[in-house]
Amino acid sequence: MQIVSKLRERRYQAILGAIIMAVIILAVKPEVLLEGIQRSSLYAVIALPMALILGIVGIINLAHGDFMMLGSYMAYWFAVKSGLDPLLAMIPAMLAFFLIGILTFYALIKPVLGSQELNQLLLTFGLGLVLEEAANLSFTSAPLKLSVPYVSASLTIGDLTFGTFEFVYVLAAMLVFYIISLFLKKTRIGRAARAVGQNPKGAKLVGIDVNKTYLIIFSLSIAIIGTIGVLFAMRHSVFPVMGAPYTMKSFCLIAMAGIGNITGILWYSALLGVSESIITAIPGAAGWADLVFFALIVGAILIRSYQQRVK
Amino acid sequence: MKIWKAFVIAALFLAAASLPFYTGTYLLHTIYIIMMYMSLAISWDMLLRAGQLSFGIAGLFGIGGYAATMLQVFTNINPLICILFGAIMAGLISLLIGLATLRLRGIYFAIITLAMAEIFRVIIRNLPDTWTGGAMGIVLNNAIFNGDVKQTYWLVFGILLITIVLSEVFNKSRIHFAITSIRNDEIVAMSSGIDIFKWLVVIFVITSTLQGLVGAAYTEIYGSVNPDANFSVHYSLLPLAMALLGGIRSTWGPVIGAIVLGLAGEYLKLLMPYGYLIIYGLIIILVILFLPDGIMGLIKKLTQKK
Repeated sequence: MQIVSKLRERRYQAILGAIIMAVIILAVKPEVLLEGIQRSSLYAVIALPMALILGIVGIINLAHGDFMMLGSYMAYWFAVKSGLDPLLAMIPAMLAFFLIGILTFYALIKPVLGSQELNQLLLTFGLGLVLEEAANLSFTSAPLKLSVPYVSASLTIGDLTFGTFEFVYVLAAMLVFYIISLFLKKTRIGRAARAVGQNPKGAKLVGIDVNKTYLIIFSLSIAIIGTIGVLFAMRHSVFPVMGAPYTMKSFCLIAMAGIGNITGILWYSALLGVSESIITAIPGAAGWADLVFFALIVGAILIRSYQQRVK
Repeated sequence: MKIWKAFVIAALFLAAASLPFYTGTYLLHTIYIIMMYMSLAISWDMLLRAGQLSFGIAGLFGIGGYAATMLQVFTNINPLICILFGAIMAGLISLLIGLATLRLRGIYFAIITLAMAEIFRVIIRNLPDTWTGGAMGIVLNNAIFNGDVKQTYWLVFGILLITIVLSEVFNKSRIHFAITSIRNDEIVAMSSGIDIFKWLVVIFVITSTLQGLVGAAYTEIYGSVNPDANFSVHYSLLPLAMALLGGIRSTWGPVIGAIVLGLAGEYLKLLMPYGYLIIYGLIIILVILFLPDGIMGLIKKLTQKK
């Protein structure tokens, strides 16, 4: 119990620190904070479905970002072929990726559910690579960019200018977070999923269909990430290896928050996103921003192994 | 039985060592490239035998290459010393990473190594261009041995021999029992007084040094480095697919896998000039799903049935 209360204290300290940091940045460079929040939301919304899979199915999906990449290509293809607003691609993407999730689960995930962690990691690594190379073969490695006029809209308040479309990511992060929380707390399947996440054998004993729960959680998460891929394609370039850094950053957030801690992901993505924005804003240091997540993950691992030793 | 084994190994060794006397340049070149991947595959497998999965071969390969090339540019000393320096640098960096991450469960280590190549690439890109050549990289004035294929072959063959010997020593020595007990049951290993963490770090440093050594030799042979080519996912992926296909957790599995995939790869490259990496990805998936012990396991199964 002591350790739990200590952890709580530390979390409160982290939150307090984040608020103080935010106030300072807001006073000095408000656009950095705004940009950081938008960036954080994107990280959070990508990490949430990965955390769901890891927390309940117990598998690290190293192909996570690559599913997002597929979603982005789908949005691009949809917009070019139909001439409609790419935002509309979200609905078919959600359905398509739910199906892709079901297929992937039965073909690849289910066979390795009981086997060693190493096999699961290697398998999803191989899957990610196959997806990347398939995209490479069918679309070449050249970046594609959608031109949607309202995406580059910006708002000026006083001498502060910021992009408005990016708030879609903030909205998406909040929406996905609440949907997942409500789903896990209020619905029958969600409660079953939490039980399976905590103790698969126990859940089986009380009559929960564990495999069905895994299937639903996995497909749902893939559906979410595929749909986010559509949103991502609206603002960013689309290319085969675009997903890989997001897989890494998502894992970084999960490692910092701890497996099963969905709320923590929001806080730590704020930390990651705002730190990256600050570093990007420093002249001449922008290139180093890509190292932030690595420093954070190594820091998280060091703290964790220190805690383990103390225990 | 033992005499037979020794005889076969001696014959193989002699055949491989004398290869440059009766083969052409192209074949020799193909073979030493395969031997490089073989060394990477064996060293990767050594770490796997300790229960740790690394995706970071490309990172250490690139670090070894960069360290060797930079020393070569700054001091212009004997390339062989530069290669050694590259290996040592890869070992030192892996020591730091190992000390920081190997205390926790395998997934954290695996993900850290997955990020490694990308992180090193970012660092190299951001360091002053006068040191690293920036995005363009560095081109050396001269390749090692003035590009002589025979001597290059013997260099790579030497590295491969070191790797095989180290891997076999690992399998036969006291360390091996420690490693196996780690793999089989970490708690049993811990309660029997084996310092898991220390051994894991030692093994990680040794295998990383080997990977750095191969990377350093590679750059000295080709006479150039650049951040995209030397940290390419290629160098993580190929050895991994080779070891898996041949059969993991032995020295000879990765050897067989490297020969099969290396020769097939030469053909594949001609067949599909780009995007052929998808085949390696498919091999990884299929082997994990249907052939977890690789070709070696298949051979064992077939011979046992008789």
